[in-house]
Amino acid sequence: MAPAPAPQLSAILREAEAALASASSVQALAELRARFLGKQGSLTRVLRGLRELTATERAAAGQAANRVRDRIEALARERRSALQAEGQSRALSQQRLDVTLPGAAAPRGHLHPVSQVERDMCSFFQTLGYSIEDGPEVETDWNNFGALNFPEDHPARDLQDTFFLEDGHLLRTHTSPVQIRAMCGREPPFRFIVTGRVFRHDLDPTHYPMFHQIEGFCVGPDVSFGDLKGTLHAFARHLFGAEAKLRFRAHYFPFTEPSAEMDVSWEDGWLEWGGCGMIHPNVLRNCGLDPEAQQGFAFGMALDRAAMIRFGIPNIQLLFEGDLRVVEQF
Amino acid sequence: MRVPLDWLAEWIDLPPRDLLVRKLTSAGLEIEEVLESGPDFAGLLVGRVLSCEKHPNADKLSLCAVDAGGEALSIICGAPNVAVGQWVAVAPQGSVLPGGQRIKRAKIRGVESNGMICSAAELGIGEDHDGILVLEDGPALAPGAPLRAALGGSVLDLEITPNRGDWLSMLGIAREVCANFGGALREPDCEVKESGKPGGGPEIAIADAQNCHCYAARVVRDVAVGPSPDWLAGRLTAAGIRPQSNVVDVTNFVMLEFGQPLHAFDLDCLRGGVQVRRAAQGESLQTLDGQQRELCSSDLVIADAEGALAIAGVMGGARSEVRAETRHVLLESAHFSAASVRRTAKRLGMQSDASYRFERGVDPGGQLRALNRAAKLLAELAGGRVCPGVAEARGQAAPEAGEIRLGPGRVNHLLGTALSPGEIRELLERVDVKCRADGEGLLHCTPPPWRNDLHIWEDLAEEVARIHGYDEIPETLPPCEAAGITLPPRRETRERLRSGLAAAGLSEVMTPPWSAESEAGSLRLSAEDPRRRLPRLRNPIHAERPFLRGQLVGSLLRVARLNWNRQAGPLRCFEISRVHRAASPGEGGLPAEPLEAVALIANGGAEDNLWDSAAPPFFQLKGVAERLLAELHLPARFRACAEGETPPFLHPGAAGEFTVRGQRVAALGELHPETAAHFEIERGLALLTLDVDALDTAQPAPPRYRAVPRHPRVQRDLALLLDCETPAGEVARAIREAGGDSLADVAIFDRYQGRGVPAGKLGLGFRLLFQRADRTLHESEVAAATGRVLRRLQEQFGAELRGGETP
Repeated sequence: MAPAPAPQLSAILREAEAALASASSVQALAELRARFLGKQGSLTRVLRGLRELTATERAAAGQAANRVRDRIEALARERRSALQAEGQSRALSQQRLDVTLPGAAAPRGHLHPVSQVERDMCSFFQTLGYSIEDGPEVETDWNNFGALNFPEDHPARDLQDTFFLEDGHLLRTHTSPVQIRAMCGREPPFRFIVTGRVFRHDLDPTHYPMFHQIEGFCVGPDVSFGDLKGTLHAFARHLFGAEAKLRFRAHYFPFTEPSAEMDVSWEDGWLEWGGCGMIHPNVLRNCGLDPEAQQGFAFGMALDRAAMIRFGIPNIQLLFEGDLRVVEQF
Repeated sequence: MRVPLDWLAEWIDLPPRDLLVRKLTSAGLEIEEVLESGPDFAGLLVGRVLSCEKHPNADKLSLCAVDAGGEALSIICGAPNVAVGQWVAVAPQGSVLPGGQRIKRAKIRGVESNGMICSAAELGIGEDHDGILVLEDGPALAPGAPLRAALGGSVLDLEITPNRGDWLSMLGIAREVCANFGGALREPDCEVKESGKPGGGPEIAIADAQNCHCYAARVVRDVAVGPSPDWLAGRLTAAGIRPQSNVVDVTNFVMLEFGQPLHAFDLDCLRGGVQVRRAAQGESLQTLDGQQRELCSSDLVIADAEGALAIAGVMGGARSEVRAETRHVLLESAHFSAASVRRTAKRLGMQSDASYRFERGVDPGGQLRALNRAAKLLAELAGGRVCPGVAEARGQAAPEAGEIRLGPGRVNHLLGTALSPGEIRELLERVDVKCRADGEGLLHCTPPPWRNDLHIWEDLAEEVARIHGYDEIPETLPPCEAAGITLPPRRETRERLRSGLAAAGLSEVMTPPWSAESEAGSLRLSAEDPRRRLPRLRNPIHAERPFLRGQLVGSLLRVARLNWNRQAGPLRCFEISRVHRAASPGEGGLPAEPLEAVALIANGGAEDNLWDSAAPPFFQLKGVAERLLAELHLPARFRACAEGETPPFLHPGAAGEFTVRGQRVAALGELHPETAAHFEIERGLALLTLDVDALDTAQPAPPRYRAVPRHPRVQRDLALLLDCETPAGEVARAIREAGGDSLADVAIFDRYQGRGVPAGKLGLGFRLLFQRADRTLHESEVAAATGRVLRRLQEQFGAELRGGETP
């Protein structure tokens, strides 16, 4: 009579439990599995011995042996995934990238602060339906002064120290000649924005002989000073924040009537921001428009100043010297 | 213009200072600064003389006890006019006089002095050295009060716009205060007491009636020329005019009061009648500032029988100057044409208080009033006798604004307001515009004679807005028209280049356009080069750089030099700007203004070696250019510059150009050694010049969708051995041509010279990618194409496959 399988089975299971628990690698685990469940494995041998039992004994013993086999299989699977997890976490803890090394440099280029401000301002006005217009930097006396209602032999001409060319032309002292060029031959309503370099014979810590202006003008049958105020206030809020306030002061420009200078609230005070007014009827007339039928506003301010305010640049010369350590900050 | 507030307060009641400043600012009187009057009186006090005894050891000195707040000060004073009960200016020890002198404790002839009682001269407010300044009794006087409170106080420093000549006087500012705050003007007394015989002054004649509208004169005899009283000297000083002598000071004082320039001649120096005429060609005159002035026939002068006495409205002459010994004075009060005064003052480069006012407009109706006021003051202050009668001549009447018709509806339409006709009328009347309503709702407006800036109804609309307050006008937005937005030519290309260059890691600079004559030489531009035809400035800011630049290369090289001078390492920068080319002679017109872009990439020095793995500047910049052109969708080709077509500042052996349909749009290269030497460039540097106008007009080939290939691709690498002069680009082109339509891409993966490559040879590795969109390629097709390529390369370049295989 063959030995009863039950004590044998529980001995195998105990042995397998102990061995699997101490298996230290996936490979050792495979070997153990073969030792118990392989062709020559101890459990396999017990199962083979079942043939010598009676049918009822065989059925009961077979079930018990299968339970032991399933149990060993399950223990082996558990141990395998435990070992895999261990290995993975060991690997993760060993494979470390020094993430504090600097990024591989992709050179970063910078737009000039004046360009940045110019783009910002132009896109604001484009959303309000303004077209952009352009004109030459070397201008005629007529476009720069005469057509803009600067009287001959009038001290208004001293307001802007002019660079003259030997051929009698001049460097535009403001962007307003573009107003003349744009209005001539155009039928209102229209609205334009102009940006560009202008030149004045002036060099000290706050003045540079070259700077940039933005100028806007809007002409139609019903365009009013109130519209000018509303437009500039919207512009100021865009540039200086929703809380920005504007103050208009009466002023004199030959090309506008009424004329005003505007200040924007800044920190605890007011910042001089630009000039504006209703286009003088003589200017409209000089451009072939009928001041009885059309009226409009115009305004202008320095881009450089806006850039200096936005970026905290203390001296206008820093903008044009070409020191890349300045430009590369913005 | 400087307006001492205490002086202004004599003309009109003033509101609190802050309110005054705010309102005047908003009305267009720009207040540059509120100054504390003239000299710095910090530390100086008001004192009262309690006792005054003779100094025990000195006859001419007095020993005074002065109450300057706190304990009485013992002060030794040398002035003859000191007396008990006077209010005086005290500089206690430790204080500093406006002239800079520090007051120390001192022993004078054995007696201690604890400060100083000051004269007007010591305070910097007058010329009087001989006596102490005795303060006029008033509410501000209290022992120990700051001297500032007693002497003047605040001064408004006003920036007057050139259209408002009428604001260049106390009267004008007082009127503006009145318009804004109401109140009654108190004008000074101009009642003159004439006495004695007629003055025997010269006959007046106006020869140039167009430019002299009115000339009035009075004779004041027996004046005693001397220093002005302290109050007058103080007023002038506070207003920024240096006191001279009582006669001159009175003319200046009255000018400040009424805005009417006056002049005093020494009557004894005049010969015959006085004539207002144009100067004769070649006539000259020594002016009061000692300069000899050459006159011309457009200058207006006051002349007597011997020649010019004064330049009308600008400056008097030395010959008839009022001196200490002058006894009889001819006072002039005239009205000259603004344009004539301005032309002369500008031509002679001289600006005076008089010319400044005439240029901006003087009240044409105010000559007699100012003349009388000055004569009255001369009588009072210089002991003069005002002779009966005014000598007066008149030319053409000064241009006057006529009646202006104003529609209240138009005003509201222009301003965006809803003011009633009554409100508009009331606002205008506050600035002395006379208004009369007609039956049709129009206002007929007559501006006062001193307002030479009101001509059209829009000018009156500004007055309405100004007095009503700009801040009161409601904010609206203009009606939006649905018209499309347009851009000027070149704008979009410029912006795309800007973005593209910055995205490629270059930073933008903006440099001024001034250029020197030598720059064309440094850039090796030939004599005919259009970039040499530069517009020249008549009044450059830097004498050595009088031209407008014709190219940007020089500017960018200077930027490189500047940055290296400041220890910069590698540089990547660009500028986009217009440049100028003078119009051809005979052609006339404005200069051309082509738009140029120049980019620069340069190596750093050896110490910047983080960079050693990067490609040389030339190839970095070439990559930038290729990317820019691709972003503009331009079908650009690159080739080495043909012999003689290299831009002159580039190295002929390291330069190339990009063309679009045969037209050059950009050039690229390393610097020519001569140019590099001129600009002191010692490091490797590559330049890219882009012709923005050409790029703007070049026809782009915008991208269209092509089917994405779904069939596998096949790669073949060819390691070739070539003569070392063989241009890689030519080889690549030959590969493309020979590869047929299955060859999708060619790239260079290796360029090698050295071990394993025979001398005079070059190893080049090409990676060929074969792929078709319509089907999978058969191995044999790839082999056939590769064979074609290798045969072509052998025929054209004598290429061999490295590793001994021969194609």
